[in-house]
Amino acid sequence: MRAFLKKEWMELCRSGRLLVLLLIFLLFGIMNPALAKMTPWLMETLSDSLADTGLTVSKVTIDAMDSWVQFYKNIPAGMVIVILFCSSSFTGEYQKGTLIPVVTKGLSRRKILLAKGLSVSALWTVSYWLCFGITYGYNAYFWDNGIAEHLFFAGAMIWLYGIWVLAFLIFFSTVAAGSTQVLLGTGGVILGTYILSMFPKFADVLPAKLMDGMSLLQGVNVPGDYAGGLAAAVCMILLCLVLATVCFDRKVL
Amino acid sequence: MDMLTLSHVAKRFGEKQVLKDVTFSVPEHTVFGFVGKNGAEKPTAMKLILGLLAGDGGEITVNGMSVRYGNTPTNRFVGYLPDVPEFYSCMTPFEYLRFCGEISGMSSKEIRARSEELLCLVGLEHENRRIRGFSRGMKQRLGVAQALFGRPGLLICDEPTSALDPAGRRELLDILTDAKEQTTVVFSTHILSDVEHICDEAAFLHDGKIVLKGTIEELRTARKAAAMELEPEQPEDTRRLLSVFPYLKSTGKRNVLLEDEKHLPQILHFLADQNISVLRIERQETSLEELFMEVVGK
Repeated sequence: MRAFLKKEWMELCRSGRLLVLLLIFLLFGIMNPALAKMTPWLMETLSDSLADTGLTVSKVTIDAMDSWVQFYKNIPAGMVIVILFCSSSFTGEYQKGTLIPVVTKGLSRRKILLAKGLSVSALWTVSYWLCFGITYGYNAYFWDNGIAEHLFFAGAMIWLYGIWVLAFLIFFSTVAAGSTQVLLGTGGVILGTYILSMFPKFADVLPAKLMDGMSLLQGVNVPGDYAGGLAAAVCMILLCLVLATVCFDRKVL
Repeated sequence: MDMLTLSHVAKRFGEKQVLKDVTFSVPEHTVFGFVGKNGAEKPTAMKLILGLLAGDGGEITVNGMSVRYGNTPTNRFVGYLPDVPEFYSCMTPFEYLRFCGEISGMSSKEIRARSEELLCLVGLEHENRRIRGFSRGMKQRLGVAQALFGRPGLLICDEPTSALDPAGRRELLDILTDAKEQTTVVFSTHILSDVEHICDEAAFLHDGKIVLKGTIEELRTARKAAAMELEPEQPEDTRRLLSVFPYLKSTGKRNVLLEDEKHLPQILHFLADQNISVLRIERQETSLEELFMEVVGK
């Protein structure tokens, strides 16, 4: 399995995908505090034209919270990019037939699945925490992160939500023939749980809850409120992995 | 001992029964030709042997162990060369072979030695480019190297020569012949001259069944006695021959064909008596091609 992991790593580096992804998340990480920092200046430059329309701008104060608001706004976009990047991880190999020599050499399919699962999770983990770390660093430098509560717990929830999404991506990859089907399936699940979570009855027991980090930061929610969503996410991740193992063993390569 | 046996193997794709009753066995250290025309589902049979497809009946064993779909343990004995081999394009041939060696759990010293040996064998030892820029023929060569890498007991090649130029084809056939010392080779093809050149045994797949099988010698004698072809020098002599011997067939401007050999002395007498000069009298070689045409009913 180490050989297969090494191969995944080599592909990520040499195709330039790793570099692009890290750059994107680096940019996101810098943009969050930068946008917050620029808001007063933007308001000032706009104030003249706003005054013409009858709006008056009072003094704008910015703190770490504004930067975190940006972070939570931007991270879904980052997640979409990771999904797009990973959607062809399996299907690309099915279409080219590159897994056939590997399987016929006797590498077990479970090891392939595990290696691919680990590499997509690692990709998300590194990208996400890079973005988080940069935003955290700038916020600490410009303002004070102390005003945001449960900062790391909230951060970890988003990370877990990403892992949950990737678990579905892997499951759909083991049944689908092309990356479009993988994207449709994964997107469908995200959208479905999002719509369901609008009903107050389900809101607390769906993984979509994990994305609501701002309520934690602002002290509206406490970590205990997330127990339902957390448990649901972990159960679904495990279920996806079991189903993926079963399906991948039967997959026609 | 038989390295590979298929008994009553069947496969259906939806309504279509593509393999009905495929039965043959391949003894150790032979080169076995698996012949069929395009669309005869040879690749399907090969994928069944590799456990890449689930069969609908019958049994396949490799080295005495039975093949099952999915993770088949028999793949440890097998090297496979797909018809259009595809590899990770970001790697160099050497890196790809190292990857293959690591998968099969070889030591790094062994991997290096084996890579050098095989890259030399297939003529890719100076290629440090990535596989991305390789032509189909080069990929085919690398395919041979990776298939032989783990010293498999059974080497399965799917149409290995179809993408190669005549020189490359000759080289590949030589490699397969040499490989016979260490392994058993099964290759599918529709090019019958390849089979005649290097195979010890062959089986013809047609209409989902094995219609003919045996050693190359057996196959050649399986056909009825060979015909004789005569070519007199003058066209009018041809006409005379045809009018005197009604069982002769005209096969060209001057050529006549004698299907039954027992009439030959009679004709030779006639030629001598009439003082007819003859350009050639030739026994037609029974080629596998004619045999193939005969069994597929064309």
